[in-house]
Amino acid sequence: MPALAERMQRASVGATVAMTVKAREMAARGIPVISLAIGEPDFDSPRHAIEAGYQAALRGDTKYPPQDGQPALKQAIQHKFRRDQGLDYALDEICVSNGGKQILWNALMATLDDGDEVVIPAPYWAAYPLVAKVIGGEPVFVSCPQNNGFRLRPEDLDAAITPRTKWLILNYPNNPTGAAASADDLAVLGEVLLRHPQVWVMSDDMYEHLSFDGPHATLAAVEPRLRDRVLTVSGVSKTYAMTGWRIGFAAGPRALIKAMVNIQGQVASGVSTVGQAAAAAALDGPQDEVARHAAAYRRRRDLVVDALNQAPGLSCHRPEGAFYVYPSIAGCLGKTTEAGTRLDTDEDFALALLAEQHVAVVHGAAFGMSPYIRISYATDDASLAEACRRIQAFCAALR
Amino acid sequence: MDLIAERLDRISPSQTIAIATKARALKAAGRDVISLSAGEPDFDTPENVKQAAIRAIEAGDTKYTDVAGTVALRRAVAEKFKRDSGIDYESEEIIISTGGKQVIFNAMVATLNPGDEAIIPTPCWVSYPDIVALADGTPVLVPCGQNNGFKLRAEDLEGAITPRTKWFLLNNPCNPTGTAYSAKELRPICDVLLRHPDVWVFTDDIYEKLAYDGFKPATIVEVEPRLRERTITMNGCSKAYAMTGWRIGFAGGPRKLIKAMDKLQSQSTSNTSSISQAAAVEALSGPQDFIAGMVETYKGRRDLVVSMLNEAPGVHCRTPEGAFYVFPSVHGCIGKTSRGGAEIRGDESFVIALLDEEGVAAVHGSAFMYPGHFRISYATDTESLREACTRIQRFCQGLS
Repeated sequence: MPALAERMQRASVGATVAMTVKAREMAARGIPVISLAIGEPDFDSPRHAIEAGYQAALRGDTKYPPQDGQPALKQAIQHKFRRDQGLDYALDEICVSNGGKQILWNALMATLDDGDEVVIPAPYWAAYPLVAKVIGGEPVFVSCPQNNGFRLRPEDLDAAITPRTKWLILNYPNNPTGAAASADDLAVLGEVLLRHPQVWVMSDDMYEHLSFDGPHATLAAVEPRLRDRVLTVSGVSKTYAMTGWRIGFAAGPRALIKAMVNIQGQVASGVSTVGQAAAAAALDGPQDEVARHAAAYRRRRDLVVDALNQAPGLSCHRPEGAFYVYPSIAGCLGKTTEAGTRLDTDEDFALALLAEQHVAVVHGAAFGMSPYIRISYATDDASLAEACRRIQAFCAALR
Repeated sequence: MDLIAERLDRISPSQTIAIATKARALKAAGRDVISLSAGEPDFDTPENVKQAAIRAIEAGDTKYTDVAGTVALRRAVAEKFKRDSGIDYESEEIIISTGGKQVIFNAMVATLNPGDEAIIPTPCWVSYPDIVALADGTPVLVPCGQNNGFKLRAEDLEGAITPRTKWFLLNNPCNPTGTAYSAKELRPICDVLLRHPDVWVFTDDIYEKLAYDGFKPATIVEVEPRLRERTITMNGCSKAYAMTGWRIGFAGGPRKLIKAMDKLQSQSTSNTSSISQAAAVEALSGPQDFIAGMVETYKGRRDLVVSMLNEAPGVHCRTPEGAFYVFPSVHGCIGKTSRGGAEIRGDESFVIALLDEEGVAAVHGSAFMYPGHFRISYATDTESLREACTRIQRFCQGLS
């Protein structure tokens, strides 16, 4: 058999996918698994988005779309950025992709030459370094410890930037920690960035509408002088519970958007027309479901944080947004589970928790900071309560 | 430091921008322009397929699926390969992507190291060389003569293979020529490939269902099962079921390569739309009579277009076996001057003058790495086709 490319040695499947697959396999064997591994809303897509999707199918809106997105959706995105962030983008400064993930892929593939550096604050969404590496870039991690609320400090950013730095990726509210950044937090990062004109910034705002303790802020709005170096990314997956429709989008400087569309033309061409019609309706339609979902998530956050802090050995920070918590399991390391497994790492913890209490979570090493676990609370209250009870039991049994 | 990566320079500048821009300008100015440039069916997606999509939405099938596609769709694809080509693929040997293009992209990025060669018979869809170049590979173009029906000869394939050859890509039936290969015609090509065990084979069968006069396009693994472990058999719903906008392509292939492609896709786009996947299950597994009606319509149009074009002085048009394109030669027109005073220096000046003077938009052969020809898509209603061909005849008659 002929060989694979060398770059495939740099490619790996994310731990989230691996854990989800494992949980699914256990469930298929009849084991009552509760999966808190995946970052997917448990709500239904909005009714008006659903109707717009099937109206598009019925009226024959099923032909090749433009590679940068349907004009109606791009207008809805333009309107969204104006309404939510006060940002004005022309239509050729906006593009639509197959999920936010493809925005990341397109942006990095369009810009990274071999050895170019991408500054990634840790903990991070695992896709950032995985994509950068496959494409030939060098991830440069900057640790953002819990004692600063998992937020990036300006002096740490400044120290990480080199002449080879091409990108900084910001993700607030953050996956996996749920940390959010205020306008003031971003303003000081903006000052650093103004001193380094070679650095582009990807602001991944996928969880923008899940910010519980204050308004969401984004860099391009906070520091207008950076507008022409910032790619602002969002989508409908998390805000409108539309993961399966595969719609992400971004706004940024024209030259970058054009290059990204060029890449997309080679990767997958356009995006499902039915999904685009539904996304336009979601963005343009009534927004009250968004606030209702955010309120539900906020309630679940409090439920989960309170319950986890009662588990011996766990210490859970109360995050400002997204639908994740990122408890430290430092107090459990070195101990042995009821079934006799010694816990030396957070991966040991996650695997033993799945095996013994049938709760799937993802270990912090997958997000670049140990010893932690990530818990997604995008699951119904009853399952969350039961999962937390099992985690408490798991921890209480450690010796 | 430049913003844009060096690799973007390797994508060939679009050959069709000039013509598309002019067509738009003419239309905006109120001119009656007939466009024969689109590579997409003019049929509507079948009703049963749309209804399946609506049922999926209502059932809440709007969540992430497995990166490689839902179990139901991979099973439907496995059945399709078995039914149509007698090839057995397990679920783990199948991947669902966002259009056939992503299958190509995944396969090339998963395998090509810098300088690895990919053999591409021409005329070809320009995305093949572009994707190969983007994945750091080197496209090796092998021209296929019109006198051989634009078909690749085994000895030309043999002559193009070097120690750096990593891929051979075949498009059957072919865009832009409509040329298709029967099992008998693939046999000598398979024999060459058997002698070169380090070459991957990619067969793009997206136009498989569009073949006329009883012609049956064959596929590599069906003809030579010993190539199964190094062949990607690609297909999709876009052309067979008029589902371009739904973005469903798929492929069967050896487990190891499919797994690598899955890994890449998990980083580039993740799964394709869950709703489109449900629609595709119905397209592949539901009633297939839509196809026969569509094929009969295309055949009538093909015959009309070929006979009318062959009456245009200076144009020579082969009758292709499949797809919905014809790729006539304009060699007899080159060197002449149009009624409007345009000098026809080559295929590009031919299509631009044709658009300018007669309002017919076609694509010149250079856009498919094959000058001296132009491509007409007959995925358009019969009346428009008849009118367009009349105009082409008039245009050619006016050349002097």
